[in-house]
Amino acid sequence: MATNQELIEQWWKEEAPLLPLLHAFHDRDGFISEEAIRAVADGLKIPVAEVFGTVTFYHHFARKAPGQAAPRVCTGPACKYLGAPELLKSLEGATPMACAGRCDDGVPVLQGHEVRVGRTADSLEKTPSPLPPPNPGNVEECVFAHIREPERNTMEGYRGYEALEKARGMSRANLLALITDSHLAGRGGAGFPTGKKWEMVEQAEGEPKSIVCNADEGEPGCFKDRAILDYDPHAVIEGMAIAAHATGATKGFIYLRYEYPETFQIVERAMAEAEELLGDGFKLYLRRGGGAYICGEEGSLLNSLEGKHPFPRNRPPFPVTHGYNDLPTVVNNVETLASVAPIVMKGAEWYRGLGLGEHAGTKLVSVSGDIQRPGNFEAPFGLPLLTLLNEWCGGAPEGRSIQAVTMAGVSGGFLAGDDLDVTLDEPSIRAKGAFLGAAGIMVFDDTRDMVEVAHCAMEFFAEESCGKCFPCRIGTQRLTERLNGAAGPADETKWREEVHDIGRTMMATSACGLGVAAPNITESLVKYFPEQVAASLKNGR
Amino acid sequence: MIAEVKPTATATLTLDGVEVSFTEGETIYEVAERAGREVPTLCYDARLEAFGGCRLCVVEVDGMRAPVASCTTPATAGMVVKTTTDAIEKHRRTLLELVASENRENEVDELRGHASQELKSLLDRYEVRGGRFAGRQSGTSNSTDDNPFILRDYDLCISCYRCVRVCAEQEGDHAITMMNRGFEKQITTEFNGILKDSACTFCGQCVQTCPTGALGDRKAMRAESLPGEVEKTRTVCPYCGVGCSVDLLTKEDRLVGVQPAMDGPANEGALCIKGQFAFDFVQHEDRLKMPLVRDEDGELHETDWETALDRAADGFKKAAGEHGRHAVYGVASGRAPHEAAYTMQKFIRAGFGTHQIDNCSRA
Ligand SMILES: Cc1cc2nc3c(=O)[nH]c(=O)nc-3n(C[C@H](O)[C@H](O)[C@H](O)COP(=O)(O)O)c2cc1C
Ligand code: SF4
Ligand code: SF4
Ligand code: SF4
Ligand code: FES
Repeated sequence: MATNQELIEQWWKEEAPLLPLLHAFHDRDGFISEEAIRAVADGLKIPVAEVFGTVTFYHHFARKAPGQAAPRVCTGPACKYLGAPELLKSLEGATPMACAGRCDDGVPVLQGHEVRVGRTADSLEKTPSPLPPPNPGNVEECVFAHIREPERNTMEGYRGYEALEKARGMSRANLLALITDSHLAGRGGAGFPTGKKWEMVEQAEGEPKSIVCNADEGEPGCFKDRAILDYDPHAVIEGMAIAAHATGATKGFIYLRYEYPETFQIVERAMAEAEELLGDGFKLYLRRGGGAYICGEEGSLLNSLEGKHPFPRNRPPFPVTHGYNDLPTVVNNVETLASVAPIVMKGAEWYRGLGLGEHAGTKLVSVSGDIQRPGNFEAPFGLPLLTLLNEWCGGAPEGRSIQAVTMAGVSGGFLAGDDLDVTLDEPSIRAKGAFLGAAGIMVFDDTRDMVEVAHCAMEFFAEESCGKCFPCRIGTQRLTERLNGAAGPADETKWREEVHDIGRTMMATSACGLGVAAPNITESLVKYFPEQVAASLKNGR
Repeated sequence: MIAEVKPTATATLTLDGVEVSFTEGETIYEVAERAGREVPTLCYDARLEAFGGCRLCVVEVDGMRAPVASCTTPATAGMVVKTTTDAIEKHRRTLLELVASENRENEVDELRGHASQELKSLLDRYEVRGGRFAGRQSGTSNSTDDNPFILRDYDLCISCYRCVRVCAEQEGDHAITMMNRGFEKQITTEFNGILKDSACTFCGQCVQTCPTGALGDRKAMRAESLPGEVEKTRTVCPYCGVGCSVDLLTKEDRLVGVQPAMDGPANEGALCIKGQFAFDFVQHEDRLKMPLVRDEDGELHETDWETALDRAADGFKKAAGEHGRHAVYGVASGRAPHEAAYTMQKFIRAGFGTHQIDNCSRA
């Protein structure tokens, strides 16, 4: 067993050392002891109180035995209806965890470095994550085009970095123009034009520059990045290397969520295979999070990498000028980066043409919940939502109908009734008050209690709120209490007024996207399901 | 060689319909404050890096999708800013109602600390009377920390993190930290312990910046029930050569506490444990109130000033006469008033002709 000193020696000089060092202690002891915190603080010259505070921020860093060895059961909105509550009760010492990104074949149980999946204690099995099914619409794909080929996640199966070679033969200006021209935009939720982001980093002063791949995927109902990294990690690494060439970055980080330990190994292996092709000019690091949805928000992610308390950062300045270590940094989602190599090979026009109508490109959509065929699908932008749900995914389970779906995981709130008649693109979905975002869609059939679903979603936001800003820290808590009846007026008019006032102020004043988006849940609940709200208040929920 | 002076770039923006100029690097809040706007804040402390947590300082900026926090947003040329629209004021009121709902109470004695009335004054200004947004309260008071200086009444904490930031940014101690996330956020020390076991130097800065009285000045709070109004007298801390400005708090004729002067040129609101908390000697019962002389019986006896001064003068004269002027060495007390310290050095230098004069102040 490594001594404290050996662990410190191994990491203190490394890039972004706090997380890996904490993991080293967590893995060695099963939890992070007081002694470990003192050793880390001393080794990295960070005040003890600060390391302590930071450790307590993350869900998965245990502070006492059995710690890491105890099972954690996903109780996310999809798994909740797949038997998670019963499973949680039947496993000794188990604690709940937020959506762990396996909604398509829940329920995931995380223990140590292993995820097992099943609906009951004795059916738990360690199985590879589901491979995306062949495209049900038979449409041309970009990101998933090769993902189903055997051994695709090895360098041999990937057959080298042809696109990187081509990109390196191009001038930065031409490469940037190509990406801009493809209309590729961020697939992590905010949809910022990728070419423009890269150009800003290229133009920004200060070195070394970095490329950060955001693989935190914490949004409930989103599990597309997991599929890419499990089955096509080289596409992401190659995309990062192309971004590095385009911007002059020399460092790259993949920030992977804690809940994907098997993915960590796959990516680690792929990185080792890629080292030679990347060359000395681009050094890649893999970092594992500690369990915190907010660390998917780019400012929070960068603070987490830097070993700081993972609050979001105030903007401006933006990461393109003040990112990792306050230097110019591209933060891109896994899917965004995985789209890059095909664009380089096949051209901007080809990529734009994949979308329907005036929409450019494709979007990976994760569908889960009460649906016949859940999974990840690559859809052209502009595809009607009902085509996806009914034709691609087979509609609601036998004998039931779709009551509502969530958008953007849970951040976009609900769509229901006639409003399901949208197409998969931001203008269409935003017109209904929701947004597509990272495109996690959870389906709830006509037997579900929507107030209960809303409560589950709001409870997630309350648990994941970082606590930096007042509207979100208090607002998510108050909305949760109003959805489960723990507090708040029983009178419907007053209830609505409070919920709406809180929601409106959260949307307008929250410091980051979490607090801005959370009230979409309550606003859309009241809009589509007023009778369910009234009934639940009457029953003294 | 004379260093090249960079010209400070100035520009203008429109603030509530009026054109105002600003210097590059200023935030909207700073510009608005200079122009006399009373933008409400709770997480703001001019000495600290802007944090952007309370969101009360939000303003409307033309072309922005949503209001922005003025404390963290740099002013830019041509910006059109509105600080007090109906919508903004409504959000501020809602935010205050939310904050009021998480505390056990929102009225505390002003003796708790310099900024302790901030929340209450804003609640009054926005006529927030509580009652809305009822629910669970946040923060758990620490009842085991029985240090004599700092009350840790986190039931009243609103997670503005001013204490954490002042301890790190101003004091450099990093004694306090934030535990957990979201509504469970708790101000505490390493391993959730007591201040004595942390890096705390009991400087009291966290107490004085706390806008709710969640951190309280235990020494001053002893006088909460005494009659009379609190009066403040500006002076300089006598303990050392830094020269921190302080406000002495008195009730009737009693000294009841000390608060740092936020505009003190030497300290900008900072104090050390001595200047902040060590004032009990002033009214201590052991203090000498009459001159005493030691008689032949070896005991000290009360006497009048004439007799005492004569005895002292005789002793000094004798020593200087027998051993020369450098046989005398004066040490003034840091607990004596400045006027006394001045007189003392005059007495030793001019009176005896020696520079052997010192003061015990070594904070
Ligand atoms: C609360 C919150 C969580 C987020 N989580 C993720 C995430 O898990 N993955 C991701 O790529 N982007 C996430 N984002 C968006 C990122 O801040 C950022 O916009 C994105 O990584 C940029 O990459 P892109 O332009 O390629 O989309 C999140 C944003 C917020 C506000
Ligand atoms: S909106 Fe929520 S998650 Fe975002 S900074 Fe504020 S408290 Fe943190
Ligand atoms: S008294 Fe001073 S050193 Fe102690 S916690 Fe407060 S600010 Fe930090
Ligand atoms: S104790 Fe006071 S200063 Fe510290 S976070 Fe709470 S309210 Fe703010
Ligand atoms: S003063 Fe700007 S957010 Fe608190």
